[in-house]
Order: sequence, then C-alpha cells, then structure tokens
Amino acid sequence: MVHALEEIQRLLKPDGCLIEIHPVLEAPLIKVYQGSNVLFVEPYPGYCDEEDLRAEDARAQVVQRGLFVIERSGEFDLPTYGSSVPELRDYWAKIDAYDDSPKEEAVEARRTELYARVEEIMRTAGQGAEVALHERASIARLNPRLLDFC
Amino acid sequence: MTIRVDPENNEPRALFDLADFSGQRVLEIGCGDGRLTWRYAGKAGHVTAIDPFADAITRAKENIPDELKSRVEFRHIAFLDFAADSEASTFDRVILSWSLC
Repeated sequence: MVHALEEIQRLLKPDGCLIEIHPVLEAPLIKVYQGSNVLFVEPYPGYCDEEDLRAEDARAQVVQRGLFVIERSGEFDLPTYGSSVPELRDYWAKIDAYDDSPKEEAVEARRTELYARVEEIMRTAGQGAEVALHERASIARLNPRLLDFC
Repeated sequence: MTIRVDPENNEPRALFDLADFSGQRVLEIGCGDGRLTWRYAGKAGHVTAIDPFADAITRAKENIPDELKSRVEFRHIAFLDFAADSEASTFDRVILSWSLC
C-alpha cells in the first residue's frame, strides 16, 4: 500500500494532488425508507474493519514519511438504494464492491435474519418502500510534500 | 425500480470541494464500472481510469457516455503494472477511489 502511494507521488506533477477515498471505521447502515420517512435503521452485520484500518494506516504512514501533506479532508455518506433486498444483493454481487459472501455461520445467520426483517418491513410499508445501504467515507486531498501547493 | 447510487451527489460534491478538475490530466485508480468517473470527467482534460477487474472495465466501456469517449481511457490493469510503464510527473490529479486496502 505504501509502495503504491510512493508510485502515485512519482506519477504526480509537482503541483498535482492525490484525492484518496476510503470507508471510515464504522459499520455501514441498512435503512428502509417510505418517501422521506426512515422506517428502519440497523448496522450491517459482520462488518470487519481490518481493511479500512489498513487504509487509515497507509494514509498516516505516507504523511509520517514525508511523502505527502494532508491539505484538507472530510467525510461523506454514500447511499445505495434498491427496491428490494435481492435487488441490492444482486447489485453488490455484480459490481464486486461489497463482499456479501458468507464467512462465518453466525454472521450469515444474522444477515439472513436482517434481510427477512427488512423484507417484512418493506411489505408492510407497501408500494414505494426502498432499502438502502449507507457507507460513510473519508476523503482527503494530499499534496506532494516538497511542493505542497495544488 | 433500478439501483440508485448516491443520487444526492454526495461523493462528487466532496470531490469538487477538494480539487478543481478543469482541464486537468487525471488518473483514477480503482475506477470500477465508472460510477465516479462519469461525475467529474466532463470537467477534466483527459482521464485515464484503471481497474484490475476485467468485468468492471468491460461495464465501464459499455456504459461510457458518448460525450466522454474522446477524453476517457479505461484500462484493465493493476496499478503497479501501470505505474511501471508510466513516466514520472504525468498527472495533475490522481484519484484513489475505495482502493487503499
């Protein structure tokens, strides 16, 4: 990871900048909406912060080593909406962006139970109900250390 | 109904809050199916968008809007392989998108 960031620094023009985006260290949220009303909110089961921690560490290391300076940073919410749980799961499988494969029996059981509750709430809510996964992300602008303007 | 990703435009808003892309030469690492690429490429001078997953690049190429075809190049390649064949000081902006892990 740090080697990749060193290569990025090499490819950047001296007055260029890197925009780095990765998930924050918290579980994504599953929500059910009916219009603007939130009918249900719960953390997605089985969240593992290992990869997100590695991303945090890599960003911190390149700053510590003097490769980049973090000029500005912030956070934003990235929601993905679907009309049903299967639709959302199909989408995750298609884009490979969300690991929905079973890893531990207990986690898979909690997910299955959550999907069932979400589908029941959506059935009760009727037409127009939506399910969404909300992922929170960290975004930062990093400037090459020696010429820290962008 | 189809899947809607970030219809509120939270991600591009955060991106544009941090950097100006007007006329810039951009490298996007981990572009996936181009979801974020479409949001800023119209402002950029040229975009090289790479991803190590062939399926994602295929979808990105299939879905590229006509008006962006002349300025966006999608490549199926891992970043370190791409970097090994690239000259130093080439890009004004690099976006490392959900890939630092």
